Amino acid sequence: MTRGMWSRETVALFLVIAMLPLAVVWLTGAGWDGAIRLLAALAITYGWQLAFLLLRAQPPSLAGVVTAFAIAVLAPTGLGAFAFVLGVSFGVVIGELAFGGWGRNILHPATVAIAFLGFGYPAAPWPELSILITWGACGTLALAVAFGLYAIRLVAGTAIALSLAALVGLPVTDPFTAPAILASFALLVCDPVTSANTQTGRWMQGLFYGALIALFLAVWDGAATTQLALSAALLANLAAPLLDEIALLLWQATRRNRHG
Amino acid sequence: MARPALRQTFLSPLIRENPITLQILGICSALAVTTSLDTALTMSVSLTVVLVLSAAIISMIRRHIPVSIRLILQILIVASLVIVIDQVLQAYFFGISQRLSVFVSLITTNCLVLGRTESFARSNPVIPSVVDAAGNGLGYSLILIVIGTIREVLGKGTLMGQPVLRSVEDGGWFVPLNLMLLAPSAFFLLGLLVWAIRSALPEQVEPPAHTPPRRREAGE
Repeated sequence: MTRGMWSRETVALFLVIAMLPLAVVWLTGAGWDGAIRLLAALAITYGWQLAFLLLRAQPPSLAGVVTAFAIAVLAPTGLGAFAFVLGVSFGVVIGELAFGGWGRNILHPATVAIAFLGFGYPAAPWPELSILITWGACGTLALAVAFGLYAIRLVAGTAIALSLAALVGLPVTDPFTAPAILASFALLVCDPVTSANTQTGRWMQGLFYGALIALFLAVWDGAATTQLALSAALLANLAAPLLDEIALLLWQATRRNRHG
Repeated sequence: MARPALRQTFLSPLIRENPITLQILGICSALAVTTSLDTALTMSVSLTVVLVLSAAIISMIRRHIPVSIRLILQILIVASLVIVIDQVLQAYFFGISQRLSVFVSLITTNCLVLGRTESFARSNPVIPSVVDAAGNGLGYSLILIVIGTIREVLGKGTLMGQPVLRSVEDGGWFVPLNLMLLAPSAFFLLGLLVWAIRSALPEQVEPPAHTPPRRREAGE
């Protein structure tokens, strides 16, 4: 890729392009119902972006498409319009726009929105993802890594942790669990803004997400797989700055040992 | 030293120098008792009464308090008043007193009460002290009532126990938002409230701790 072509908006544009495989697979499965959810999430996201553009001169970002898409795929279904608007608004405003827009946020706005809906309405059913989603998510991951948007170390760390979990005998590759794990990984955890930003930190975050999935699969009875994957994504997301900090401290310690 | 007018002393803690949103004092109880409006109201009244009475007593004896033991004395006076209020609540409002559980007794250690007696009542005559305490108590109450109303309406669909939003079970459209009954929602609401107040009164905004490096962004 040519140096100098990356601005915030080219990153967002390539992120949207990388989402296409997952989007196509998901839309063929979810049909009109899913399309309406996606359009509603898009409308709310861009409504708030417009409000922040007018009130605080924050330029809107194409990344809102990714946020809306992740919410449409993973958020609990069967909620009323009021709950959906409230949850998406909460995620977009508190998760992202209040910090100054995409690129300055700490948590992924879609993670915040889905967690809000999930904890706020515990009775709402979580979406069941078909096994085909797994292939879409793999395509998205491959494209995004090829574009240089997703960190290969993060993906590798998760792959190692999940493989170990599968070896121990946890149902990682089960057709009901795999799509949820991979979709929330590709949509939420790998996000270039809110994932870990140091090389060691990326390894640690990947391992951490995989370990959380393994832990939840082992001990959390009665959780929907999407709920389980979302909880792991939320915790991995929250841990990212801490893991970066640990990576920096480790690096400083090695420098001190080597150079005195 | 010229004292500010009584009107000023009373009005400024209501919003402009609100103890919760500006000084972030006393938020532990503010978060704990606001799951419904009736507990929030009871707590507001109890705290305001304790605050006003303790300010009056401490201000009356302010010339006789030795500096070295002033905190012990203040806590003693506040604690005695809190016990009285607690007994009154248990006698006449037993149900609400049960739901407030330990938080009425914890008014003793509420930073708001000690903050006002220590910083104002200790060095001012009785009338201004009482007015200042009442203003601060009402400022605290205002925030509690706002947060309590939002949490009860969104969390249960009721207000003071009376249904206001028809829930799905009764054939309406409203699904209770369970999150509002958990502690994090109070933090979110308090944050939004602080945000709103500081947007209206920008002089309250704290200076940024770091200045981010200047960068070119898309569209520049």
